[in-house]
Amino acid sequence: MGEKPIWEQIGSSFVQHYYQLFDTDRTQLGAIYIDASCLTWEGQQFQGKAAIVEKLSTLPFLKIAHSITAQDHQPTPDSCIMSMVVGQLKADEDPVMGFHQSFILKNINDAWRNYTGFQMSITETYRHIGYMPPTELRCVPLLRARRTISLVPYASVS
Amino acid sequence: MASKPVWEQIGAGFVQHYYQQFDSDRTKLADLYTDASCLTWEGVGFQGHKAIMEKITSLPFQSIQHSITAQDHQPTPDSCVMSMVMGQLKADTDQVMGFQQTFLLKNVDNKWICTNDMFRLALHNFGA
Repeated sequence: MGEKPIWEQIGSSFVQHYYQLFDTDRTQLGAIYIDASCLTWEGQQFQGKAAIVEKLSTLPFLKIAHSITAQDHQPTPDSCIMSMVVGQLKADEDPVMGFHQSFILKNINDAWRNYTGFQMSITETYRHIGYMPPTELRCVPLLRARRTISLVPYASVS
Repeated sequence: MASKPVWEQIGAGFVQHYYQQFDSDRTKLADLYTDASCLTWEGVGFQGHKAIMEKITSLPFQSIQHSITAQDHQPTPDSCVMSMVMGQLKADTDQVMGFQQTFLLKNVDNKWICTNDMFRLALHNFGA
C-alpha cells in the first residue's frame, strides 16, 4: 500500500489539530498564526496574530462542533501546502450549517518536524454556506453569516 | 474612494475570467495552467497542464453556468494570491448545486497563472 504524499500527511494532520483546538478551546489557536498571517472570516479581513486571535476568541458562540466532509491538500510552488476543507458545523443550539475553509501552511524554522508546535504561517479564508434552494433558482444568493450565525439549515442536495 | 488592494483586483479579475471561459469554452482555460500546476477535482488529483486540461475538457456535461455568491482574496507569504470562491452551478438540465473552489495564483513572466486549483461540490451527509 502506497504511503500518502507528505503534503497530505501534513495537511490532514494540521486540519485535525486545528478543528480539535477550535472545538475545545479556540483561544489556543494563537500558536499556529504569526504576524504575517491573514484571516478572512465571512468577508472581513484580519491581519496578524493578535487581530486573528481576537476575532476567533470573540466569535459569538459558547460551544461549537465541526464535522469534516472532505479535505484536499496540495503542494504549492513555493513549498507551502494549500488545504481546502468542506464540512458542517453546529454552534450552540443553532441548526447545522455547511462551511468551507481554505488554509495555506508555510514551514517556518523547520516546523514540519514538530507537529505539536505547528509554527505555521497561515493564510486562511472561511465562509458559511447557507440554505441551498431545492428548486432551480438561478443566481439565488446564498445566505452568509455576518455577526450572528443563526441561518436556515443546510439542505442536502441529491 | 480607496481602490481595492492589488491582490483583490488580481483575484477578482482572474475569477471573472476563469468562470467566463469555463462557461463558454473551457478549452480556453489552457492558458491559465502550466506543468507546475495541480488540480484536485472532487478529491481526485491531476498534475501538470496536459492532465488538467484533459480532465476539464472531458467533464461530462455540454453546457454549464456558474454563479458566484462570494469570493475572497488574500496575498500569500510568497507573493502569490489565494482566492476562494463559493457559488452555484448548473450543468445541462441538472439541478442547481453549490460549489467551492480555491485557487493559488502566481505571477510568472508578468502573467498570473493558476498553480493550484481545488474544486468540490457542496454536498454533505446531513447530520449534527
